[in-house]
Amino acid sequence: MLMHVIHMEHDVFKANDKIAEKNKKKLDKHQVFSVNVMGAIGSGKTTLIEEAIKQLKEKYKIAVIAGDVIAEMDASRFRKLGVPTIPANTGKECHLDAKLVEKALNEIDLENTDLLMIENVGNLICPVDFKLGEHLRVVIVSVTEGDDIILKHPMIFKTSELAIINKVDIAHAVDVNAEKMREDILSLNPDVPVILTSKHDWESLETWISFIELGLKKAQKK
Amino acid sequence: MHEFSIACEIFDQVMNTATAHGATEVKHVTLQVGRLAHTNPEQLEFCFKVISEGSIAEDADFVIEMVPPSLECECGYRGDVNESQIRESGELKSELLAYVAAMECPICRKPAHLEGGRELIIKNIEIETKDEDLTADR
Repeated sequence: MLMHVIHMEHDVFKANDKIAEKNKKKLDKHQVFSVNVMGAIGSGKTTLIEEAIKQLKEKYKIAVIAGDVIAEMDASRFRKLGVPTIPANTGKECHLDAKLVEKALNEIDLENTDLLMIENVGNLICPVDFKLGEHLRVVIVSVTEGDDIILKHPMIFKTSELAIINKVDIAHAVDVNAEKMREDILSLNPDVPVILTSKHDWESLETWISFIELGLKKAQKK
Repeated sequence: MHEFSIACEIFDQVMNTATAHGATEVKHVTLQVGRLAHTNPEQLEFCFKVISEGSIAEDADFVIEMVPPSLECECGYRGDVNESQIRESGELKSELLAYVAAMECPICRKPAHLEGGRELIIKNIEIETKDEDLTADR
């Protein structure tokens, strides 16, 4: 019997990052702008994506990857809007990873896509460590999660490029100060744009949609 | 909880390496876990135990090395997070949050980029082989 120490130096997250880089290159090649929408359960991820699709689908060709433990429910909501949708079932998993997105990309006609919306699994912890190959990382929370939700989940706000506080129209009813939530986000990530939204406030939705359009235009110029 | 799928990935990597080196048993698996990675080492070890049952890695012990966060700043500063600064800001609620909040450059006070502390690395494995020179140990 002999004992050996075998050096491996294998970084599990870097292995995912490598596939994510591959996904991004593929998307760049076809000039597709992709958005990774992360957020809490019930924060309004699906609804905000729906609103963006409604406004942008005449101008741009849109596809969706709907990630969830059972992805079919959200996927059917997107299909009703007439956009190609790939459900990415994670089974027991609490986040999408680059491999699942790689598989889904094979089923999308990228040549005929300008915008790819990726809805991540509702969770503020697990998606943080798994890049997908996206161009924009968005985190959505709503006032109903309580105004301490942000400081409880610092890393997702620290690593996102856009933060949305949703359902601000009912903030008073749930006794939450949306401005405090905005301040908390900025204390963690001073440079991140923060948008306060409500499904019933058209102007707030327009800010979210114009943010996506800005990225789209940049991607198409490349 | 995503430790199960990560443990599966670790198990596959460990088994590939162990069998390639002619192992009859895996004794230790040494992991480096960033303090800011959303991975719980105890759950990871538990999941690994379940997955590895009946394999040559079923009795492997986990050795966990926690990696502190390190910073990189535009001003040129590179280094660990200033621990004394973390303790001073006492009312912070969790260790994780404490680190995040403290991520400003100790030299120029600007927000610094987080360089290390989010990794999960299989550093090495200790294996047992039958004979002396079945496979070269590299």
